[in-house]
Amino acid sequence: MTDYASVQALHKSTSAFSPYIPLSLLPYIAFLLLGATFALAFYFSTLPNEKIPARELAVASTASLLGGFGVVAMFCTAGVYV
Amino acid sequence: MPRHWRAPLSLLFSLFVLPICTSAANSFENTAIVRTVELGGALVHVTTTYAVKALEDGSSVYTLALGEQEHARTSWLEAKLKGQPGLLPLGDFGYHPESGVFLYTVDLPKALDTNGTANLVVETVLTHATYPWPREAAQKDPQSLKYSTDLFVISPYKTAVQRTKIRSPTPTVHSYTDPEDIEFTTDSVVTKSGATITYGPFYDIPPSATQDFVDAKQKQITIHYDYEFPIVEITKLERTAEISHWGANLNIENKIDLHNAGPRLKGHFSRLEHQTQSYFGRTSAHILPGMNLMLPPGIHSAYYVDQIGNVSTSHLRTVPSVPKGSNANSYSLLELRPRYPVLGGWNYSFTLGWDSPLEDYAGYDSATGKYVVGIPLLTPMPTAVVDEAEIKIILPEGATDIDYFPPYPALSESITKHITYLDTIGRPQITLKYRDLTDKHTGNIYVTYKVPFRAHLQKPLAVATAFIGVFIVALAWKRVDIRIRRK
Repeated sequence: MTDYASVQALHKSTSAFSPYIPLSLLPYIAFLLLGATFALAFYFSTLPNEKIPARELAVASTASLLGGFGVVAMFCTAGVYV
Repeated sequence: MPRHWRAPLSLLFSLFVLPICTSAANSFENTAIVRTVELGGALVHVTTTYAVKALEDGSSVYTLALGEQEHARTSWLEAKLKGQPGLLPLGDFGYHPESGVFLYTVDLPKALDTNGTANLVVETVLTHATYPWPREAAQKDPQSLKYSTDLFVISPYKTAVQRTKIRSPTPTVHSYTDPEDIEFTTDSVVTKSGATITYGPFYDIPPSATQDFVDAKQKQITIHYDYEFPIVEITKLERTAEISHWGANLNIENKIDLHNAGPRLKGHFSRLEHQTQSYFGRTSAHILPGMNLMLPPGIHSAYYVDQIGNVSTSHLRTVPSVPKGSNANSYSLLELRPRYPVLGGWNYSFTLGWDSPLEDYAGYDSATGKYVVGIPLLTPMPTAVVDEAEIKIILPEGATDIDYFPPYPALSESITKHITYLDTIGRPQITLKYRDLTDKHTGNIYVTYKVPFRAHLQKPLAVATAFIGVFIVALAWKRVDIRIRRK
């Protein structure tokens, strides 16, 4: 059970928080990822129908994953720090 | 009342060892008590210096007494030895119904031997201790306040000599009580020189923290003085601090309900009169045209909105950010002008928020995997009193092992769930409630928490799931034939 003074000392001594991805890179990452998502979504729309939609699902999942990270980066760029 | 004290370890066993003040009355004697009252608007600063002499060996626990009226108004209490910066541990002994006083103990750093002396300086800040008199004032009228207090400083020990000095901010004192029938002095009871009114000296006062003394000997004194600044009272403050790890950002938002606690406006508000006054630079004392707030360094994207929308009459001068934990005294200055000047008795509500880099507030301890963040309790608003404050700290989604350390004990604490953009399970939110905060309550609330790596991925994966849902709907849609005529 630490007390106030020890937490205060801990706060002062620990290294400063640093995000996994530096903030200045986020706008560019957002643009690249969302651009890739858009391109892949377009490609997805051109794929022919198959019995087992393996190719379509592969393209869809990569597009979604890139889109997920792209949207989070876009939110942070826009000023809504999620 | 939120106090700056840490409960000493001796508190628990002292509860049994120290039954009541009478037994402790033998271990100390006050050789002199000087109380200095600095009169203000919403806040009144009282500094009481006790010159104590120990009557027994090993005396180290000194007891302070506060009367009921005084205790109800006290929001800040700290004690230190004269000339030394360190604060002394205080203990709260609560209300004693037999004597009608509230008792606090101060632990002296070194136990005193018989006839050992020490100088104790006790600083208190009183809120809601003054009231405007006359209660109504026209736009051009000056502003005056009344302050009432007890004449004698009560103490569980004998006092050899005591005096009270009341300092008004200006020499214009309209009236002050001249009490009659005071036993402890032979000279005149009250003298005034410039802006200082001195009551005393009073000699040989017996232990006064008893109901008999308070009933028989205690008198009320009232000072009626001029006050040249608007009295700012924040009736409700909702402060939210939101931590974002993806954006490395700390967003602080204050929802403030501002009230001018000066004399109520009598008659109409004349805009023409107000313009004339501000043109010549002679605005009346009770009009609040705006405030200058000191915001932390390194902030950006500040917003000042109210119910109608953005308020453009403000100017923010930012200052570059300072490293985490440093005591640098640089502040960003925000000159705030509400849409209308806030006259006596008027209210104005607004929202003020800003973003700041999280590196300035949070640290990561790689040894334990914990994040430590220090969030200021209040934005400093000098001379203002905050009646009710609710401080919320919103941690990132998936935060575990949450531990928080407020600088002053809160009236209520709770951890709830808060849902905002791109959240799936919600974020933990710590809510602390306080009353009667002053400009002295400037500590940091420290929170330690852990966020596992997969919790950071929760947001992108939630958005990815939404995307793939759309793609699956598209997959199904492509395979449905909606033509009317089969080719």
